[in-house]
Amino acid sequence: MKVIGQIELKLSAANVYSKLSDARFFASCIEGVSNLIEKSPNVYSATLETKVAYIKLKFEISVEIIEKVEPSRIVAKSEGTPIGMVGRLVSTSSANLIEKDGKTLVDYEIDVSLTGKLGSLGQPVIRSKIKEMEFQFTKHLKQAFNLAEE
Amino acid sequence: MNARIQSQFGEIGRKISRLEAKSKVTGKAKYTHHLKLPGMLYAKVFRSTVAHGRIIKVDVTEAKKVEGVYDVLISVDIMKFIPEPYYGPAFLDQPILAIDKVRYVGEPVAVVLSTDPHIAEYATQFIEAEYEELPAVYDELEAMTSKAIVHDELRPSGTFPDLKHLMGKKNTNIALDYHLKRGDVEQSFKDADFVFEHTFKTQQVMHTPLEPMVSLADVNLNEQHVTIYSATQSPSFVRLEIARLLGWSENQVRVIVPHLGGGFGAKLYIKLEALVTALSMIAGKPVKLSQTMEEQFYTITKHPTTFKIKSAVNKSGKIIGRRCDVWWNGGAYADIGPRVTQKSGFTAAGPYDIENVEIESYALYTNRPPSGALRGFGIPQLVWAYERQIDIIAHELSIDPLEIRRINLLKNGRPQATGTIMKDAALDLVLERLATRMNWSSTHPKRNGSIKSGRGIAIGFKASVAPTTSTALVTINADGSCILSMSSVDMGQGSDTAMAQIVAEVLHLKSENIRVVNPDTDSTPYDMATLGSRSVFHMGNAVKLAAEDAKNKLKLLAKDAGLGEDYAGPFSDIFTKKYGMQAGTLVGFGAYIPSYTPPDKKDGSTTNATPFWMVGATGVELEVDSETGHINILKMINIVDCGNPLNPAIVETQLSGAAIMQVGFSLTEIMKLDNGQVTNASFSDYKIPGFNDIPIAFENEMIDSYQSNGPFGAKGVGESATFGVSPAIANAIQDAVGVSLSELPMTPESIFKAIKNQHNKRAGA
Amino acid sequence: MKSFDFFEAPSVEIALDSLDVDDLQIRPQGGGTALMLMMKSGVYQPSKLVSLRGIKELRDIRLSQTGELIIGSMTSLSEIEHSELVRSHAPVISDTMKRLANVRVRNIARLGGALAHGDPHMDLPPLLSALGATVITISKNGRRSIEVIDLYKGYYETALKADELIESVCIPNLNNSRCVYLKCTTRSAEDWPALGVALKLKIINNHFIDVHIVFGSIGEVPLEMKQVQDLLEGKHASNDTLDAACELAYSLVEPSGDALGSAEYKKELVKVYLKRALVQAINHEGAVK
Repeated sequence: MKVIGQIELKLSAANVYSKLSDARFFASCIEGVSNLIEKSPNVYSATLETKVAYIKLKFEISVEIIEKVEPSRIVAKSEGTPIGMVGRLVSTSSANLIEKDGKTLVDYEIDVSLTGKLGSLGQPVIRSKIKEMEFQFTKHLKQAFNLAEE
Repeated sequence: MNARIQSQFGEIGRKISRLEAKSKVTGKAKYTHHLKLPGMLYAKVFRSTVAHGRIIKVDVTEAKKVEGVYDVLISVDIMKFIPEPYYGPAFLDQPILAIDKVRYVGEPVAVVLSTDPHIAEYATQFIEAEYEELPAVYDELEAMTSKAIVHDELRPSGTFPDLKHLMGKKNTNIALDYHLKRGDVEQSFKDADFVFEHTFKTQQVMHTPLEPMVSLADVNLNEQHVTIYSATQSPSFVRLEIARLLGWSENQVRVIVPHLGGGFGAKLYIKLEALVTALSMIAGKPVKLSQTMEEQFYTITKHPTTFKIKSAVNKSGKIIGRRCDVWWNGGAYADIGPRVTQKSGFTAAGPYDIENVEIESYALYTNRPPSGALRGFGIPQLVWAYERQIDIIAHELSIDPLEIRRINLLKNGRPQATGTIMKDAALDLVLERLATRMNWSSTHPKRNGSIKSGRGIAIGFKASVAPTTSTALVTINADGSCILSMSSVDMGQGSDTAMAQIVAEVLHLKSENIRVVNPDTDSTPYDMATLGSRSVFHMGNAVKLAAEDAKNKLKLLAKDAGLGEDYAGPFSDIFTKKYGMQAGTLVGFGAYIPSYTPPDKKDGSTTNATPFWMVGATGVELEVDSETGHINILKMINIVDCGNPLNPAIVETQLSGAAIMQVGFSLTEIMKLDNGQVTNASFSDYKIPGFNDIPIAFENEMIDSYQSNGPFGAKGVGESATFGVSPAIANAIQDAVGVSLSELPMTPESIFKAIKNQHNKRAGA
Repeated sequence: MKSFDFFEAPSVEIALDSLDVDDLQIRPQGGGTALMLMMKSGVYQPSKLVSLRGIKELRDIRLSQTGELIIGSMTSLSEIEHSELVRSHAPVISDTMKRLANVRVRNIARLGGALAHGDPHMDLPPLLSALGATVITISKNGRRSIEVIDLYKGYYETALKADELIESVCIPNLNNSRCVYLKCTTRSAEDWPALGVALKLKIINNHFIDVHIVFGSIGEVPLEMKQVQDLLEGKHASNDTLDAACELAYSLVEPSGDALGSAEYKKELVKVYLKRALVQAINHEGAVK
């Protein structure tokens, strides 16, 4: 499934870019991420724990930043294995930054696909969760940038 | 000649209940599911989560440590016992467990064995597999030219004579290409008054037999023998193929088939049998693999297709030329796809008398779950296209849809596209009977308001597969009772009962008293397989010959016993006289293989394409809710030519069953894939028809006809009522709301969109 | 499926004792039909299920002194479907049951479980919301009542705490209200609703009074269309009013697309089905109390 959106930030593109490409900053905006380890430049591993109502989901994720065009584009590829069931989560996220009048528009596109049990029978649950995570993430991101401004 | 010869003795044509009916409804019938052997292990499969990739590693160490796990196996373990673990009826392309590469999401990669099936499932999550992902291809047209090549090398299996010529190609996803050329199609396009070109598509669906696939293997290495209990439609093929894989003789492999909870083509050739055999060999214990409904979607499906059909038509409505380009999406492994492509391919131009025909039919590899045989065997996909187009042509030329079919329909004595002269194919009778039952000549009332009504018809045909071999044994016991031994599998279609009726007719016995043994390759002789509606004709002929052989032998025995050849008393007398007591056995044998001429390699022509044709037509009256796109089928009529029905009651259920199945494929069923993963692999989200989906008036009829070379004039019928269902519905929708649908399934949303687009187009114009 | 503890509670008190407000892996079970699907898919793996099927007090249908219909949470959907009391007091519920899931599910599934499940594609939540029903819950802290419309927070998420059980559902007296529930399925006839529209309203002197409209299967929770209710309130039950209401609903609603229909298609269905439901109410075709 694809999630497409846009955030407007009152900062220069260069500023936004440097923060977005900082893995720790980025991860701090996602709820449930822990254990972030840099394996090699641009490659990270982490644990993602989340829940939908009473259903707990835990993933071991690896992220690789596969494209970096300063200060306009970042593309990251992540792969996650759910704990407790056979499956796989694959996601490609891209962010395009456009600066205009001192503000930056971040156009993001996240493509998520699930295979295994999660992908065959758990689809509707995950879809709703992804939308919720998108909402939380953009909220945290804006807050974090507002703090950064100050 | 279409005369129905009444059964002399009275067993043929009787509407008796199926012999096993009481057992089934009281829960006494035995299925492979029931079987437990001492020391048996359950197997649970760990599957690929990647659509196309090289296997970097499969780490089973953690899984092996789980308490209660007997062992965890991957392909290298299998290769220690079976160095070349590849199988397949057309190409030996399918590995027992993935080797080096995975080619679709859901492909078996590893197996956990345990005495507890829940532990086996639990342990699969501890298996770690790493893949180097490769680009994947999912669409059949894309696969023609894609750089993503699914198989680097292809090895033809050579098992079946009609597929012996397979070579495959390298660096391509084309598993087979079939060509037929008759006359000059390009010239016909120049000569014709009109040229129509349309593209039609069908979707990937699954048979969903309510009994998922299940197999149990018991290898005895001391005796160098394996017994396989399997829900299979092709026990003889399984024996042959397992023997080949192990380098054993056929008599070292025994395949036993209890009842089947539905097959529909899903349980053919090798499905789980090679895997459980290999596992049992390695583990030294019986191994059973029982799939879930979800896993069936990862095992075998129906070919999605794209069919481009171009017709040269004169203003009178006569089709003078037709070019068919058909692309079959075979998924990651060929299974029987090449036969679908070829055997169905040659009827792609439809049951029409067309001078100039060119057919190009391609079987493609893609990274989807494999496609194989499903009730209809490619014919419904073809009929969808040619019966939609002929209606569109009729509409454009303002000719009645019935009339345009009359103008073009093939008649007996005329050559079909291959050049084979049509014989015993009651196309015209079926069409006319449908027209009468549909009251076609009376005008159909149009309605005001948002509910629109419409009606549509469609007719299709299929050639029976050939050449194939069937053999049967009819045994007479000392007390005169009779046993029929054959490897045809009764999967709910009633073959046991029908064959018993043939034996009873020949030997003047009562059908209910014939014992039909379930297939056991140690005692039931060779049959090609139970598929393609072939059993009644091919096995029926073999059974009839076997019964006649038994009858002749009884005569000789009676003569030998001094009772005289024409002794009319009970069989038991003959035995008593001959052996002095109730002793002895008499066996009659029958073998049948029809004549066949393979198609010419250059132009696909043959004078003897098939021993019999199946004909089926459907008429539909429905309502369309033009505000939402919902349809309501008020009436569906299915008419078939099945020759002389051995058991009309069973035939009627074959017709309704086939039509209902096709209604599901027409309206609600579609396998949805996301990055190769089937996302609706359960009845929660893959909806098949229930009682409330059956048309309100639902009528099924067999016309009066006779198959001259069939047993007592009978021929196959299991698929005939699938042919015309989808296009008849679409033609009725076009009649009701004027939209032309070209893809399946026809969901309310797709119909709504079509209505809206048409509305916008009209508003724009 | 991983193994789990299965405990059949003989009473409400013991059932409540077995639950834990902090432990999400312990869950009460009614009929278990929805729970089973989640466990089979591997998405939910409980450590313990507390079955309520042995608790007879939770299984009844009665009228309160003030004329409300009270249905115990462990009453099966089949029992509700065939109950004479339900048919005489809330026939819209009886009629809705006929198309809810299928007969095999209805024989096993229970009212409490159906309401506690929280899947957006269900018939009872929007219907009972429109009827103004409330659930009475019980926990060690006592009872509380929650209006059905307020019960749902998100996908599978309800206002219920992990140590709280639905005891009964209370449907108010539907005096002189016209109630309609229309279910749109887009696949087989027995399917989850692609869209459900529930109406409760009165028509007095040909004017709409006390209008309640709730949609199901539109978003993650049942959707009460307040602005459309306000538009209709007090208005003349004419075709123009209906069209205005449906246009407003169409413009306001932002459905989530899913396996049963795309967002655009659901939007169109909202317009069509709202009109049909209103027409049915006007023509007394729906259940009338």
